[in-house]
Amino acid sequence: MSDNNKKWFSLNLNFSKKQKSESDSCGCGKTAGGCNSGENNDLNQDDFIEAAVNASIGEERRKDGFEQVFDVKMDRRSAFKKLTASLMIGAGAVSTSCSMIAGEETKEKAQIDWEEQFKGNYKLMTDEEKQGTVDRLVRSYQMRTGKNISMSSKNAEEDVLFGYAFNISKCQGYMDCVNACVEENNQDRNSEMQYIRIHEMKDGKGFNFNESDDNYYHEVPAEGHFYMGTQCFHCDNPPCVEVCPVQATWREEDGLVVVDYDWCVGCRYCMAACPYDGRRFNWSKPEVPETEVNKNQHYLGNRMRKKGVMEKCTFCVQRSRSGQNPACVEACPTGARIFGNLLDPESTIRWVLENKKVFRLKEDLGTEPKFWYFMD
Amino acid sequence: MEVIKVFGSLVKDSIDTITHGSKKYHLWMALLTFVMLVGMYCYSVQLEEGLSVTGMTDRVSWGLYISNFTFLVGVAAAAVMLVMPTYILKDIDFKQAVLIGEGLAVAALIMCLAFVVADMGGPSVLWHMLPGIGVFNFPNSMLTWDVIALNGYLLINITIPMYILFRHYQGKEAKSKVYIPGAFLSVFWAVGIHLVTAFLYQGLQAKPFWNNALLGPRFLASAFAAGPALIILVLAIIRTHTPFKIEDKTIKKIALVVTVAAQINLIMLVSELFKEFYAPTHHSESAYYLFFGLHGKNALMPWIWTAIPLNILATVLLTFHKLRNNFKVLFFACFILFVAIWIEKGFGLIVPGFIPGPYGKIAEYTPTGIEIGVTLGIWAMGAFIFTILARTAIGIEIGKLRYKKK
Amino acid sequence: MNKYILLRKWSGLVFCIIIMSSCGHKKDEYHSINDKIEAESKDYQGTSITSDGYIDHVKTIEITEGNHTFLIPERKSQLQSYSCMECHTKPLTEMQKNNKSYKKAHWNISLNHANENTMNCISCHSGKNMDNLHSLTGKQIDFNNSYVVCSQCHTKQFDDWKGGAHGKRIGSWAPPRASLTCVNCHDPHKPHIASKWPARFNTEKVKERK
Repeated sequence: MSDNNKKWFSLNLNFSKKQKSESDSCGCGKTAGGCNSGENNDLNQDDFIEAAVNASIGEERRKDGFEQVFDVKMDRRSAFKKLTASLMIGAGAVSTSCSMIAGEETKEKAQIDWEEQFKGNYKLMTDEEKQGTVDRLVRSYQMRTGKNISMSSKNAEEDVLFGYAFNISKCQGYMDCVNACVEENNQDRNSEMQYIRIHEMKDGKGFNFNESDDNYYHEVPAEGHFYMGTQCFHCDNPPCVEVCPVQATWREEDGLVVVDYDWCVGCRYCMAACPYDGRRFNWSKPEVPETEVNKNQHYLGNRMRKKGVMEKCTFCVQRSRSGQNPACVEACPTGARIFGNLLDPESTIRWVLENKKVFRLKEDLGTEPKFWYFMD
Repeated sequence: MEVIKVFGSLVKDSIDTITHGSKKYHLWMALLTFVMLVGMYCYSVQLEEGLSVTGMTDRVSWGLYISNFTFLVGVAAAAVMLVMPTYILKDIDFKQAVLIGEGLAVAALIMCLAFVVADMGGPSVLWHMLPGIGVFNFPNSMLTWDVIALNGYLLINITIPMYILFRHYQGKEAKSKVYIPGAFLSVFWAVGIHLVTAFLYQGLQAKPFWNNALLGPRFLASAFAAGPALIILVLAIIRTHTPFKIEDKTIKKIALVVTVAAQINLIMLVSELFKEFYAPTHHSESAYYLFFGLHGKNALMPWIWTAIPLNILATVLLTFHKLRNNFKVLFFACFILFVAIWIEKGFGLIVPGFIPGPYGKIAEYTPTGIEIGVTLGIWAMGAFIFTILARTAIGIEIGKLRYKKK
Repeated sequence: MNKYILLRKWSGLVFCIIIMSSCGHKKDEYHSINDKIEAESKDYQGTSITSDGYIDHVKTIEITEGNHTFLIPERKSQLQSYSCMECHTKPLTEMQKNNKSYKKAHWNISLNHANENTMNCISCHSGKNMDNLHSLTGKQIDFNNSYVVCSQCHTKQFDDWKGGAHGKRIGSWAPPRASLTCVNCHDPHKPHIASKWPARFNTEKVKERK
């Protein structure tokens, strides 16, 4: 063991004073015994060879095998380079060797994981790239679980702007919408993530959220109360979109505010910016029982998320872009929820906006939500 | 080539200084290392399990990490309070303290960056923020402004002192033509970084507790109170434990800066309290929660009711010349001021912003052991970095560390 | 010293320009959502998205009421006891006499719709032709258009239903519209909808708010 006061696993970065002092007043930086600058240069052959060898590996000779491996001299830069390289190689070796599937499948899996890790922002992808990432995700799921899912990357349709209306008189507080949403969108069951909140409010107190209850459990509708629901309102001037540092969330052409789960870095700034409690964060790995996984997915919608990313109501993009109603609209037994295309003058949502007394929450914040409330 | 050689020698010499010292010094470094290792272990648990091991929830989504980040940005900005008089006003009394102050700024900034990374849900994909290979949402997102501001400030605060020390290490004088423009820039930049950090919160219309015009100026005032207070305490330690000479009048002048800033901070506090409690609106609920508790939920009350009296006490003590010039009183006042502002600007600002939630629901926040572990680890890392930088700087400044041509 | 300051200022400006041009965000020109809706639906031609495929599971007929034309579920094929005339060949009074076979029909129908001053069986059911309903003035109304009967009293709900604010739409938001009629949700003999319990209870929320 070298006696320079160091731990056995440390790198000797060539600064030990003791070694320097051995070479005394020599300033050429060489190791012990190798300088010869001020001395008699008339050495015979053997001495010269001896001196030369000493100069190059003299230190090494004095070390035992252990030290030769661990007490290697190098400058800091190459030390870090080698460390990083070996770490990466090690990580790669470990990950490939730990894979349960051998050979071709492992290579394919590694290829898919690599491409998924380094792909860009979904918003900036071309249609081919979008299809590519969807294919990779479907294949990856198939390789991991053996099950098939269908994932769509359907873009926003032209001349469509989605709007939503909620009839407060009709809502009876059944929470069928909450159930349907959770099942449709593959939300984490452990944390009981719910995009929709149904608030039970007292009659005569107005819209008093402070005294409302959004986690009641008794027969509904309860005497003297009324019910209304909130979720992401898909604002037309969304504050969450403004603040995202990486543009992982944006408003699509058809008005839906969506999140690219693979691009989100998890800073939760959008969550602080949303005035309507529209966004949810995966604080741990989201888990859905295999039997309950909804296999009809959209890249921006209900595909499986990972921990540390944001998610939210997407007006069931996997359903609404193909013409279906979102799960909450479909599930509501009283017909309190109305959904449609705001640009279609014949749509029911337009009729509601034009003929019923509608209002929105926190209108003074200037967020322009596309979710209206009305009463009979 | 010469430069690299000198630099290499500087690195070698500084590592030498760092690894040798008195027993107390080694004990200090060992303690810091231990706390850092604990922090690293806690962080590894957090990486494995996800942020659910912290006390943060969908209701209160920013907690201890961001609180400390906010506070430390202020501390970092305050180093400029020494830079400006020294280089701009050419007040030589500050000159000795400047390098220490900038070292503190660097340590504080590295701590800030560490807290941000610790708070991220996906630290492995932070490259998404790099312009070019990722998407950098500038100028819309204030977070991107903050990234530029903090990293720029870190760069300035590393290069300028590095240049000066490098020159001194070689026994040469630092050319004012080179570092004065940098010093100029860092003054404005320092005000900039803390204003930008304040704007992160100020710009959210969803959080009425933060969405007021006074948040930015309040941040600046409290930063210029807490930062130099810490610098005074650090200088006191350096005076007693190293041969580095710091004159009394340097400390007294910094104390004056702290006093004025603390007084302005109090005035702004009064203004905020008036706005919240004179004619309370729905938007005052957060302030009610903080000071008086809401619906029986009052976890932050003991904290804020410690912080405000300490703040007032410290400001009063500092206001009187006799007391301020008595160093024992001064150090005590600086310490309690630092703690008070850490509470008030840290989780006394961040956590009430989220309570009550957007629909009036109250869910309180309590940091978990993992969170506290990581926080302590990062503070220890900051202290460690600062000790390293200070030791090197002091060594060079007192002439012990010099480049010896061989 | 001036040279350096100038250099820094200039490079700072260039830096700013580079950064600003990397922003990829387009700001909308509309002041409010209503302005946007008005502007962008001016030349609305329709979309390629239809409700095809989502309303096929229900047999529908098309109705036109006022300005609205839409599909409603066909009713007669869904009624178990239709057609009424298969049994109702005699006058009602005769059938109400003590006769075992007749008494078993409609055993589970109890009338709880307004009070006895306002409504009884023949308020809606036509005595002349039991395969139809009738209006207050005696006009015959087909069972498929039973909503016409309801609209006589419930005019406000009828207006809302025509527009789409009342009742439930089938399957899709896209045209052609298919909506449920009154009797699809409200039992015309006992229209009141019973209360029930919520579909779920969130235990995590309780923990969070302790």
